[in-house]
Amino acid sequence: MKRPLPLITLAVVMLVLAGTAHAQFNTTGTTTLSLNVAAEASLRIDTATTTLANVGTIFAPYTGTTNYTYRIRTSKGTGSGTITLKVTGDFNPAGGPSVGTPPTTGDALTYTCSVTSPGTACTGSQTASTGSDTGVSTFGSDAKSTSAGNTGSVGWNLTNDPQYSTGSYTATVTFTISAT
Amino acid sequence: MLACLLLACECPGQTGTATQTLSAQIYAAAKLSVPATVTLTVGATKFSTFTGTLSVSYRARTTSTGGGSITVQVSSDFTPAGGPSAASGALTYTCSGANLGTGCSGTQTASTTLQTPVLTLPASACTGGGGSCSSQDPNSVTLNLSVPDNSTYSTGSYSANLKFVISAT
Repeated sequence: MKRPLPLITLAVVMLVLAGTAHAQFNTTGTTTLSLNVAAEASLRIDTATTTLANVGTIFAPYTGTTNYTYRIRTSKGTGSGTITLKVTGDFNPAGGPSVGTPPTTGDALTYTCSVTSPGTACTGSQTASTGSDTGVSTFGSDAKSTSAGNTGSVGWNLTNDPQYSTGSYTATVTFTISAT
Repeated sequence: MLACLLLACECPGQTGTATQTLSAQIYAAAKLSVPATVTLTVGATKFSTFTGTLSVSYRARTTSTGGGSITVQVSSDFTPAGGPSAASGALTYTCSGANLGTGCSGTQTASTTLQTPVLTLPASACTGGGGSCSSQDPNSVTLNLSVPDNSTYSTGSYSANLKFVISAT
C-alpha cells in the first residue's frame, strides 16, 4: 500500500520543479552559438548559349567555348568533388549532327577542359555522351573556392560531316557539380 | 510560551499600541536570461546563410529619469580556426519583437571588442503587472542571427560565445 508523500517532500519537489521551469536571470548571460559547415558545391554557366562555328578550312570542325563559375567546399580527409557534363538534349532537328546516333561512325562532340585551382581539369579530349556523365573537373579533399567563385571552361569540337543537312541545330548540355 | 502565558495572567486587561514606520527605497534593477546554446542552420540554397534566432528574456525597472540597455559582445570567437570569424564581421543580427523598450535598428555586426546594441529601455519602464508597466513578465526580444556560408570555410563544426549585459538606471 502506497503511503502519501509527506508535506515536506512535496515542498522540496515543488521547489525543484520551479527551479527547472524558470530560466536563470542575472545581469549578464552567455550563449554558445554553434553551426556545422558541410561540403557543398554550386556552379553557374556564364555562357548561356554557346555557338559552335567553323572557320577557315572547308569541313573544319565546329568549335566554341562554354565558360562557367563554380563554388565548392569539400570535406577534409576523404572529401572530393567533380564537375561533369552530359548531353541531355541531342541536336535537333534531325538530319544534322547527333551525339547519340551520329550519321557517320567517328562523328563526335568532343571537348577539352580548363579550370582554375583548386580544380583539376579533365585530361586530353573527352567525348560527350547522351548516356553518361563525362568528366570536366575534379577536386581533392578540403578544396575551397573563393567566395565569389572560381572559373573554368569547356572547349567544344563537333565533327563537320558532309552528311549533315544544312540548317541550324541545337543541343542541351547539363553540367553537374558535386562535393563530399 | 508558558512564560508568556504566565505574564499575560499577571497583567490582565492591559493593552498597548505602537506605530512602526516602514520605508523602502526602490532602485532601478534589471536581469536577463538567454538560452545556453543556439544552433545556426543553413538553408537549402548552396552557400547561402546560416541563420538562427535567440530569445533574450529580461526583467527591468528604470527610474523616472533613467533608462537602460541590453548589449551583446562576442566573448569568444568561432573555434576552431578555418571557419567563420566574428572578428572579421561574419556574425550579424537584427532585433525584433521587443515588448518593453526598443530593439536595435537595422543590421548590427557583432564584435569581439565592442558591446553592440540589442535593446534600449526608456525611463519609467517596468516589467509585469500591467498598467504603466508591461503586461508581459518576463519581457523578451529576439535576435535574428546570420553567418554567411562562405565557400572558403573548411568543413566542420564551429562554436562561439555571446555575452549579454543588461543595465538600468
